[in-house]
Amino acid sequence: MVLLYHRPSGQTHMVISPVPEILAALKDSAPASAQILYERLSRLYDLGPADTALAEIEGHLVNMTALGLIRTAA
Amino acid sequence: MKHRITLSIGPATFRIGSAWPDPIRELKHLYADYPAPADDFADFTVRLEPAGALRRWLRPSIFITGDHGLADAAPMSLPHGLLAAEMGMNLQMALGWRRHLLLHASSVEKNGRVLVMTGESGSGKSTLAAQLGERGWRLMGDEFALLDLATGVVLPFPRLVSLKNRAIGVMAAEVPAERMGPLMAGTAKGDIRHMVPRAEAVARMDEGASPALLLFPRFGHAPDIRSVGHGETFMRLTQASTNYVALGEPGFTALTRFVKTVPAKAIDFPSGNEAIAMVERLWEQRA
Repeated sequence: MVLLYHRPSGQTHMVISPVPEILAALKDSAPASAQILYERLSRLYDLGPADTALAEIEGHLVNMTALGLIRTAA
Repeated sequence: MKHRITLSIGPATFRIGSAWPDPIRELKHLYADYPAPADDFADFTVRLEPAGALRRWLRPSIFITGDHGLADAAPMSLPHGLLAAEMGMNLQMALGWRRHLLLHASSVEKNGRVLVMTGESGSGKSTLAAQLGERGWRLMGDEFALLDLATGVVLPFPRLVSLKNRAIGVMAAEVPAERMGPLMAGTAKGDIRHMVPRAEAVARMDEGASPALLLFPRFGHAPDIRSVGHGETFMRLTQASTNYVALGEPGFTALTRFVKTVPAKAIDFPSGNEAIAMVERLWEQRA
């Protein structure tokens, strides 16, 4: 489990795998699509079938956007 | 106000005013050996006022107010005035303190390391701290532990120990009568009696120390000890803190450091004596 302090809202988030891994894959880099994140993550982890993993990453990105942890690039 | 006293407890100074002499007289008596405040500047003001125009004399009824108050707090009877003053001070700390992360927890110190105990009202944390304070530990506080945001040190807040119901008899049996306050029967929390901490706890009330063990005690259950993971510990401590949200990122940083560095255990115990034995054993075994 990973704790995140969200500066804009002052809220604390408790997140579990794969959210910390997705955030790490986004860290210090230009905006990335779900496809690019899948490629980055699949180099580090065994993600199983590509279409299932990609759908899962997309789902997490939607939820993380709703929480304000990430935003869609303009 | 007509009757007043200024008290310093740990890092906080309170100015307490009362429409009646009795609560102030009792405070003066029980806090007699506390060091006098360095100056007249107080962090907080507590006022014990009549609940209505005639209530100073007629069935005297105390309304607790001050810098921070609860609008719908029930008035208290004059014989419970000492409790009203203590509740007023707690209320100021819980609602207004910002210099440390405030944890609703008791704490005791031995050899420069602190044992912190947190739990619901009735969990036994207060009584356990009071008992350890008479058995070679320094009582740092029975109600609030103050976590320094920069250093992670726990600072004492050794106000009077508030003993409830069965704990009153337990402590009265081992503490000299002059350290016990008046018995206040039939309060909203049952019977309450205050106890003055040992002289050493008061003399060293500015002296913090690093936390070494966190316990979640639970009185009235078969003996059991289990480790508590980081996630659960963090959740329970945010619930036990009154100012975690208000402190923002420094509070988050201080609390995550505490959770990462201090081992946490939940302990169930059927009696005070068994609890003390369990605590001493865990303290010896701590990594």
